[in-house]
Amino acid sequence: MSNIAGKAYAMNTISPIPKCKAWKNRLTFWAAQNRVIKFLIRLIKGNKPKGLVVLSMIHYARWLIVSPSQFPNLGHDQPKERLKYVYEVFFSNFNGSWDQYVDSFHMAIPSGLDRLWANNFKYPGSVPLQPFHDYIEFNQPWTNHYYNAYPMATSNDVKSAQKLKKYLLKLMEETKNADPETFLKQFNQLLRDCQHDISLMEPTPIVSLAADAVAKREAKRS
Amino acid sequence: MANKSGNLYGLTTFIPIKRTAQYGTVNGQSRSSKVRELLQEWSLHPNDESPMAKVPNTYLCRFYVLNDVYYQGSPAKEDHLKSKYLIFSSNFYGKLKPYLKGMWDNAQEQLKEVLQHCVAFEEVNSSDDFVKYIKRCQVKTTFLFNGSTDDPLDEQLKALYLKQAFTHFVFDHHNLINKGKAAELQQAFKAFVDKAQPDQPIPTWSPGWEAEPERFEENYRF
Repeated sequence: MSNIAGKAYAMNTISPIPKCKAWKNRLTFWAAQNRVIKFLIRLIKGNKPKGLVVLSMIHYARWLIVSPSQFPNLGHDQPKERLKYVYEVFFSNFNGSWDQYVDSFHMAIPSGLDRLWANNFKYPGSVPLQPFHDYIEFNQPWTNHYYNAYPMATSNDVKSAQKLKKYLLKLMEETKNADPETFLKQFNQLLRDCQHDISLMEPTPIVSLAADAVAKREAKRS
Repeated sequence: MANKSGNLYGLTTFIPIKRTAQYGTVNGQSRSSKVRELLQEWSLHPNDESPMAKVPNTYLCRFYVLNDVYYQGSPAKEDHLKSKYLIFSSNFYGKLKPYLKGMWDNAQEQLKEVLQHCVAFEEVNSSDDFVKYIKRCQVKTTFLFNGSTDDPLDEQLKALYLKQAFTHFVFDHHNLINKGKAAELQQAFKAFVDKAQPDQPIPTWSPGWEAEPERFEENYRF
């Protein structure tokens, strides 16, 4: 098992929705990415960031609503899927532990979360926490191989690095022919502007949900 | 189209695995078990030795075997898949076709080892065939969330390299900064720029590096 690669955790879930209710989930997701609707919601509720944006530990996440006919059939006598439910499939790449992530969802955006899963069979709601934990855990397939291009970096590191690079290039450009005092002033300004972005990234220990997998990987590397 | 968010592409594929009833076993092992074993073998190696580290512009990706869907208990109806699926989910920069061609051109050897156990893969003999094959197995994303940046991977890695290098530089030169020694700091910064080349693609980090290279910090002590 390999749910973890460096600082990232790969979460997968697959959970059934009664066929007659799947359209509601599709509508919710459509509304969540519709610019006009997002603008109207911001207008009504104020301009504060809502939803997934507040969970800065996420690299990338996605949902799929998959009906039985969407399961790929490649011929060669592969039988057609005749499922009784539509399935909601979720993938997330985030930093931190499983508990931290699920708890963050539960505390930061419980109502948003409920809208995304509300019609799924036996979804208990994101509050209280324990039934929600049980639901996610029960519906989570484990990853067999997880690859991360920057295992040392969190999502916030990637965003910070982008900002810091921009400021460094600006400093280089603006102080090309500057005298030392002007340079010092500009340099200190960069330190102030980027004080949250200047930090070292450290390697993570080899971690896995299976002690056996850790032992095998350590043996392989020694 | 929900497969894309800016320059980020979220690819999800459900690749049907050959059924034992139809194709038999591999030395007594089912094809799905063999696929799982091969993928877990990849996970014994560091990230930078993953076959996916060779595929340009891959941010994060995962593989797992979906054996079946989960029964939610009464009053839900029991539901079962007729095939097992290799789920491949990738988050990458750019367009689908060049990405898949890059995947085939750089990692086909290891991919073939795994995908030979999937339905109709024997029809794949070239990068064009591979693109067609994966597109047949693709399932459309309903909602894609980008919590990071969508720069090309090389730019993300260069920015992370600079963040680490500049942080070392600031830590190592804190005396000059705190004492306001402008001329000396300016000289040191010029040496930093010559070494780190912030406006050039190299030096940079390789995809999948799990730790800072040896003597990295010494390079930025002037």
